[in-house]
Amino acid sequence: MKITDVLTRVEGHAAVELVVKDGKVRDVKIRFTEGKRLFELVVKGKFYQEIPVIVSRICGICYVSHRLASIFAVEDAFGVEVPEEITLLRSLLVAGEFLESHATALYLFSLPDLFGYRSAVEMAKDYPEHVKRALRIREVGNHIMKTIGGKTIHGENTTVGGFYSLPERDAFKKIAHMLEEIMLDVRETVTLFRSLEYPDFSSCHDLELRLDAEGFWQFSDHLSLSDGRRFHKSHYEEFVVEEEVSYSTAKVSRIDGKPFLVGPLARVRGVSSSNPFNDDLARALELLYAAERGLAIAERFAFELPPVSKVEVRPKKGKGFGVKEAPRGVLYHSYTFDEDGRCVNANIITPTSQLQAVIGENLRLLARREPNLAYVEFRKRAESLVRAYDP
Amino acid sequence: MHIGIVGLTGCSGCQCQFLNIYGGLSKLLERAKIDYFPLLQDDNVFEEFDVIFVEGSVTCGEDKEKLKLAREKARVLVALGSCACYGGIQASIEETACGHFCLPVSEVVEVDCKLPGCPVGVERLLESMAFLVNGVKPFEYPMTVCHECRINENDCIILKGGICQGPITLSGCGAPCPQMGVGCVGCRGDSDFPNYEAFVSLCESKGIPKERVEKLLFLFRRRR
Repeated sequence: MKITDVLTRVEGHAAVELVVKDGKVRDVKIRFTEGKRLFELVVKGKFYQEIPVIVSRICGICYVSHRLASIFAVEDAFGVEVPEEITLLRSLLVAGEFLESHATALYLFSLPDLFGYRSAVEMAKDYPEHVKRALRIREVGNHIMKTIGGKTIHGENTTVGGFYSLPERDAFKKIAHMLEEIMLDVRETVTLFRSLEYPDFSSCHDLELRLDAEGFWQFSDHLSLSDGRRFHKSHYEEFVVEEEVSYSTAKVSRIDGKPFLVGPLARVRGVSSSNPFNDDLARALELLYAAERGLAIAERFAFELPPVSKVEVRPKKGKGFGVKEAPRGVLYHSYTFDEDGRCVNANIITPTSQLQAVIGENLRLLARREPNLAYVEFRKRAESLVRAYDP
Repeated sequence: MHIGIVGLTGCSGCQCQFLNIYGGLSKLLERAKIDYFPLLQDDNVFEEFDVIFVEGSVTCGEDKEKLKLAREKARVLVALGSCACYGGIQASIEETACGHFCLPVSEVVEVDCKLPGCPVGVERLLESMAFLVNGVKPFEYPMTVCHECRINENDCIILKGGICQGPITLSGCGAPCPQMGVGCVGCRGDSDFPNYEAFVSLCESKGIPKERVEKLLFLFRRRR
């Protein structure tokens, strides 16, 4: 008997498909149930100015990442260099994104599992402070993205070459003040997720991929693999090979034919990455980095604004690549343009599609390691395993 | 009052706006119960609803079935966000992909109320919820974004030589993009009586190529 369970409390539309025999789970697959988005086709024929507007709509949570990855790719194709201050302002935007995304994943999606509730709303009855803390952190993240981006979601101010306009110095003062106010909330989040007992699970993966940078707030043109290999973004598609599968609308990617890990656990050092449930602890630490990093940048701009908001962009024929650490892991965009700046070709590889292989393999491992688990219990375990990756 | 929040093919951004209402949401939960919201909770029941919000556009058979079931179970069905209302940015594919379709919710079932926007604005969402809880159908003011720029005393992007869809786009967002110096991308769809030809020639007279203007025009409006 085949049972399809739609997953709850995940941002994408995912389902686990279980093959059940005599009440026990024999095989399991993860698949994405929504229709194909075909964003690579949507951008085709459009002018470069519209690319960030379009790809922002790939994800309502990590739109900042999609926007920036596409902007990096366009700037790479046209040979645009932006001043350090614009890069810093982009980092502040990213800090806002991580505050919002990680606080949502930790408190609204994951913690109800660890505390034994069906939702954050139900959890709020017994742990009102935890939920309020999450909302406070999210609010600051959203405020940062709204102030710099212009809107809470899909903010259009972020564009190729920089920003259409800059907020006033007072706006940065306010951001700095708000970040100071949630610093205690963020520290308490780290303490909380350090103190929790996580289920024990040993992941199937032995390769991890991350941006070759100090942390998610930094941008880079290089990537590094956990076995020591390092490569330029233009070689991304030689390492990460995507494949369409019949059972899911998201493509599956592999390196050397094997599943690999991206995301907080691949980025944060000092947290054991062999147990996927540790992802939450890594996420909590990144929340702290986001608040600290964001505060330093906001304080700087509260003192002195960037001298320019945007540099000149001239289209030219060619191909460009952009990579960025999104909250869920490395994100890759590449575009080819004609001489007028029309997009003739595009390729986007998302963290979710890269994680699909490792999640699927680990679900099968779970079924093999726990052959006697009843269906309901297995379902619960499988759900929390998938949720650990926040796909 | 029983509420359901259903996601079809989309980015989940409009669903996330429910989480961004903050204090308003807990107030609302005193009057309404959310029975179906897979993004936020487990054990969702799909029985009888007073209001179902549908996010996203219809791009596959599963979407169609989910939507038809939602229509059966809901007294009031609300199309939430521009994907549900118009098909959204994902419908602006220029070359036709084999067998691909991307439809607004209203082309598959009858829709009682549309709340456009990419994403739908938090204030608009909260206001509409308050209307619905009190048995009143939310409505749009079919004026243009230009109208809101006047109210906010924003500098006109078009007068400065930029490209802005304010003159033909439905108001209700508060014009946050022009306020930041960004031309309106038209995410809320048409205002009443949009004059595309006049808009294209206005932009052309400012030296913006026709091809660019037309492509921008159909970013959120499906080419008919």
